[in-house]
Amino acid sequence: MGMPIFDINTRWTRDVYPELGTDPVPVEPCISPEYFALEQERIFRKVWLYVGRVEQIPNWGDYFVREIAGQAVLFVRGRGDAIRGFHNICAHRGNKIVWDHDGSCRWFTCKFHGWTFDTEGSLKGVPDEEMFDNLNKSAHGLIPVATEVWEGFIFANLDPHPKETLAEFLGEYGQRMSGFPYGDMTTCFSYRTELHCNWKIALDAFSEAYHVDFVHKRSFPGQFSGKRNPLSHLPEVRLYPYHRSCIVYRNPDFQPPPVAALTAKYRTSPLTQLATMQTGTELPPDVNPTRSPNFAFELTGVFPNLLLHITLGSWFTHQFWPIAVDKTIWEGRLYSYPPKNAAELFALQWNNVMARNAWLEDTGTMEATHAALAPGVKTHFVLQDQEVLIRHSYKVLEDFVGFYAEGRGAGTNGGRQK
Amino acid sequence: MNASRLPEQFADLEPLVSEWALAKQEDREKKRVASTAEEIRAFYDTMLPRMEAILAYLSQFPVEGIPEQAKALLFLTFSLTEISAFVEFYDCERIVPNSFAEHRFVAMHKDPLV
Repeated sequence: MGMPIFDINTRWTRDVYPELGTDPVPVEPCISPEYFALEQERIFRKVWLYVGRVEQIPNWGDYFVREIAGQAVLFVRGRGDAIRGFHNICAHRGNKIVWDHDGSCRWFTCKFHGWTFDTEGSLKGVPDEEMFDNLNKSAHGLIPVATEVWEGFIFANLDPHPKETLAEFLGEYGQRMSGFPYGDMTTCFSYRTELHCNWKIALDAFSEAYHVDFVHKRSFPGQFSGKRNPLSHLPEVRLYPYHRSCIVYRNPDFQPPPVAALTAKYRTSPLTQLATMQTGTELPPDVNPTRSPNFAFELTGVFPNLLLHITLGSWFTHQFWPIAVDKTIWEGRLYSYPPKNAAELFALQWNNVMARNAWLEDTGTMEATHAALAPGVKTHFVLQDQEVLIRHSYKVLEDFVGFYAEGRGAGTNGGRQK
Repeated sequence: MNASRLPEQFADLEPLVSEWALAKQEDREKKRVASTAEEIRAFYDTMLPRMEAILAYLSQFPVEGIPEQAKALLFLTFSLTEISAFVEFYDCERIVPNSFAEHRFVAMHKDPLV
């Protein structure tokens, strides 16, 4: 990648990332059960996936369980502070070890026959142990899942022998997004829901700013777009081998209505403190490096299923967990500094409600889109230049899945529209 | 109930307390959906002129240990955050226009101060 460009008039796909091409992109990856199965095998059981924050399990013995590609994984903080992942399976006859979504304990005991494991996953106790012939307890701990932490983000990899470390997987993206005070912004506002759509339809809907003037015309009538940038064109796009990133601008001319304006005195927000927002105070040096006062937030995509956004005084994520070709768990989380007083709590609450409202608008399109696409009548998405992050996401997806490279797909020519 | 539930200087807002001083977001959402556009507008119009003073008052209390009367006042402002966008952005509609079914959003956070 050459020198970063900062210009809303840039033609990102055509001129900066021409290797992505400008052809329509096939719909098949969103509706094909065969594609879904390959994704599960070649992506969700092979690459590093974000599973939770270190603050969720601050103390020895704190744990949570995550379902990943049909496998339940237990994440626990050990005695020596390390966070480890284990398959949630008893070493004896395979019963589920932990039945809660989260909790805290000093050892895990299987309900079936009372086998006991410590927080490091070692088998410690076996009732009637002498009745097992040649039982080597040290060989029958919980089955580990590769688990690493970046900036307080816990990632796991179901591959017993991951092809690369988390640092290698995150690469230049991870270096650039480091140094933000994620761990200080711990007040979390969050929702989840099950969506009857493919996970990528949900992911894509959050991966461009083109929709803002339409889907969010009621909630954001001018906070982002305005005379200077009528359709929220992206001033910067950076694509990495797996991951992607862009700046979304705000509209400096926006005048917030009364309650929105009141909150601005007590809370930094890209939605309110528009005229006075100070930029650059907390951002990593290479995020909004020009320190443009028009910066609203950095929208980034971590392959495959995480969107991470950073802004001033808060950060937020969207994550998409594939359950079936047409079923997805979406989770939205907004993190802020803990409010220092009751007035700040009011402002924070307003911010949270606006996020909820916007997310209700975002999720409002997804199931209808999937239902319309499912019959396969429409074969390709038509993407404009500003939808470059979506185009890049499908390119990386196919790099891993190799569906078209292996000649799969119904009458397709490498996925290109005939 | 004769005892004032709000700090003395905000006694004029007392009639709002029973209906709108709601600690839980779920209850505020229900109240919003169950209200008429006129009721939402009236609550907004009563609260707004008092907000500068309310926030100046609330800003003196750390989040831990807010006195009960100030807490009731804060919960009134929480209801204002719940409905303000509906007045300022959604023409007093009671659900976000053209949106996902709100009841399907499952909150994973806990309400503050509850």
